Amino acid sequence: MFKVGSKLFLGLSGFASFNLVAYIIFVERLAIGGVALSMVLAALVGLTAIVMLINEGDSESQPRDNALTGASLWPLMTVVGLMLLVLGLVVAQIYFVLGIVVVLAALAEWLVQAWSESASDDPAHNESARQRLLHPIEFPVIATLGLGVVIFSFSRVMLAISKSAGAVVFMVVASLVLLAGSWFALRPALKGALVSAICVVGAVGIVAGGIAGAGVGLRTDLAEAAEEGHYLHRECGVEKSKYFDKKAMKTLSLRSNVTAIIELRNGRLSAVMVGFGEPQQRVTASRANPVTFIFRNFDEAERRMVASLGSAMAAGAAAPETTEGDSHAEKNETCTQLIPQGAEQALTVKYDKPSVAQDAPLTLTVPGVAGQAIEVFVP
Amino acid sequence: MMKSRRLALRALAATGAAAFLGSCATNAPQDTWQPKGPNAKMIDDLQQPVFAVAGIIGIIVAAAVGFAIWRYKDRGQPIPEQTHGKPALEITLTVIPALILAVVGVFTFRVIFDLARTDDTQLVINVTGQQWWWEYDYPVQNEWGITQPIISSGQLVMPVGTKVLLRETSRDVIHSYWIPALNGKRDAVPGRVHTLRLEADAPGIYAGQCTEFCGLSHANMRMEAVALSNEDFAKWVAGQQAAYQPPAEGTLAKEGESVFLNQCVRCHQVEGLKRADGTLAIAAPDENVWSGAAPNLTKLMSRNTFAGAMFNLLRDACRDDVWRADSAEFGAKYLAGVDETCLNVNDLRAWLRNAPEVKPMYANPALLADTNGKYRGMPNLGLSESDIDKLVAYLLTLK
Ligand code: HEC
Ligand SMILES: [Cu+2]
Repeated sequence: MFKVGSKLFLGLSGFASFNLVAYIIFVERLAIGGVALSMVLAALVGLTAIVMLINEGDSESQPRDNALTGASLWPLMTVVGLMLLVLGLVVAQIYFVLGIVVVLAALAEWLVQAWSESASDDPAHNESARQRLLHPIEFPVIATLGLGVVIFSFSRVMLAISKSAGAVVFMVVASLVLLAGSWFALRPALKGALVSAICVVGAVGIVAGGIAGAGVGLRTDLAEAAEEGHYLHRECGVEKSKYFDKKAMKTLSLRSNVTAIIELRNGRLSAVMVGFGEPQQRVTASRANPVTFIFRNFDEAERRMVASLGSAMAAGAAAPETTEGDSHAEKNETCTQLIPQGAEQALTVKYDKPSVAQDAPLTLTVPGVAGQAIEVFVP
Repeated sequence: MMKSRRLALRALAATGAAAFLGSCATNAPQDTWQPKGPNAKMIDDLQQPVFAVAGIIGIIVAAAVGFAIWRYKDRGQPIPEQTHGKPALEITLTVIPALILAVVGVFTFRVIFDLARTDDTQLVINVTGQQWWWEYDYPVQNEWGITQPIISSGQLVMPVGTKVLLRETSRDVIHSYWIPALNGKRDAVPGRVHTLRLEADAPGIYAGQCTEFCGLSHANMRMEAVALSNEDFAKWVAGQQAAYQPPAEGTLAKEGESVFLNQCVRCHQVEGLKRADGTLAIAAPDENVWSGAAPNLTKLMSRNTFAGAMFNLLRDACRDDVWRADSAEFGAKYLAGVDETCLNVNDLRAWLRNAPEVKPMYANPALLADTNGKYRGMPNLGLSESDIDKLVAYLLTLK
């Protein structure tokens, strides 16, 4: 009655019940862990029932000649992973995480290899069984890693050389890849070794370029801009930065569902909001919550939108852009960049205090456009 | 062998029967198969035929698998020869499911797009989720008599037969708004505004529940949508906008007001409430609560539930009276709100005595390092019983 399969599952079920009881007694009654263990137990009992019902897995294994199994890389890799684990405990978390990945990957490979080597008497069949199981995982992972290295190296090159040189390098590399690819495709008879050699030379070239690029560092203007903090920096007055970036709109994930779209059209401001048929003059902004507005400029002049944040300490820009000592920080307002006609930009604001706590209404205005303001109501 | 097999079959049958009987519960206010409005009806009309088709296919597949398991189970026979590739069969077996899915897909997409419409909205309500309750605010909409914003929590009040659009967002983690009788779920995500259509056919209360795991009291983050006739909704709006009435001098409620000013106003706003020096009392939940908000209590007794609709403000008998009222009487009964005779004093007192004890919350003052000393939920304020008497008397005036 009890053969291999049912014995395995019966044993596992027994082990799970033991754990469940021990957990309830020693750890905690009726906690999430107990629920989880009960579920595991239920699943195992179900599997046991099925196995007993259909005899699956109960066939006795036939004697096999297992003397000739091949060498294996995986014990070594497991040890490397274990060493990374220990190193991670001492040095830095990243090694620990890396260690976990390596150990898991090596164990999985090892397990599958060991299993496949005793699958049948035919080593060729065993190898193909192993490949069938692992290739669908191995190939994409290796390809992703390889591509990642190439892309990262190439990006280091692009950041190091000047903008125009970058364009040239990009075109040259792309054409080389296209040429090589077409050649391989047109000459199927080409020797495999030749193809791989060319690919390896190309990849090594790019990686070497990347290492060199990383050594050189950012090109001057990028380095200066980074130092100036212009990616984070926003002016409510005249632009001082040489690297003012009109296109830094930050609207990628925001544009699909903002609190309101504020439009400047023919010198008039209005708020377009989902659900409201007509443009509004007043918007409700959730308190203590980042709310996003999009400002659209249909005026000919370059314009920016300014959000008043109310009496001092009553609100803060959600974005950490407002650097200390800025005049607009003292005036308690924040704003978009200047944008030309037809452009738009997002502004994220967080109002911590309700409108009733403010001395004056909270507003969205555009400097240079008189008499127009959208009132922001904060419940 | 026979014995274990019979046992397994019996267990299977028992589980099946339990599941089947469970689906027949009579009092199931959150039953998705009982749509009470056009949006939910749309989903149901799609779901029924798809379920039938999928069910039949499911049974066929399960039966085929069962047959194969049984018919070819291990009886010691040799492993059959393995073959590869049978294009005609493979193509057929790919094309048929693809066709079925394509047909289902056409209808599904139509419903998805219909449910996403926002151009026919008649009333907009902002909904903000936070650990572990929902806040509603009604932006100014003069056509509904809403001339100043209304802020409420727990119970969403809406006019019947009206295309209501919820603009959802969240103050802390992702929550999900779901009133099964009125529409499907929609996640409330911090920093984003997601819309959800609601429309109820008849006056009544429709129960719902947060359906995105959001922490300790996720299971206690409930909500109710209350549909009122247009006239009753107008009355509700007027009631919500009525000015604050301070309790009369010398009453217990008046003493409660000063306890409230001392203990509660740092988190809870009561619109129009003034301090002893005549200035408006402005709550600062952003300084005390992690998500930056606490329920607005201005009209607390106009709702039937509190603390994320986990507790009833009405005693069971009074609550049943409202829930079971027929459409014609429902509005008047709901608008009556909560008075002293109907107040569920026990739960309210327990809440004031020690809120984290009755609703799990992160409110242990010693464990607030992760949240800069701010609470997630309402803390135990260590109030005396006499303070609680006063507060209950005061809260009863907030209507
Ligand atoms: C530190 C902030 C804080 C203080 C102080 C505080 N509360 Fe609360 N209160 C909350 C939060 C947060 C909730 C919402 C809890 C939930 O439902 O998960 C709440 C909920 C409530 C509710 C339920 C409201 C509803 O509509 O769901 C009542 C009633 C209440 N509090 C009364 C009081 C009273 C009375 C006091 C003063 C004795 C008080 N609270 C003090 C934070 C606070
Ligand atoms: Cu939630």
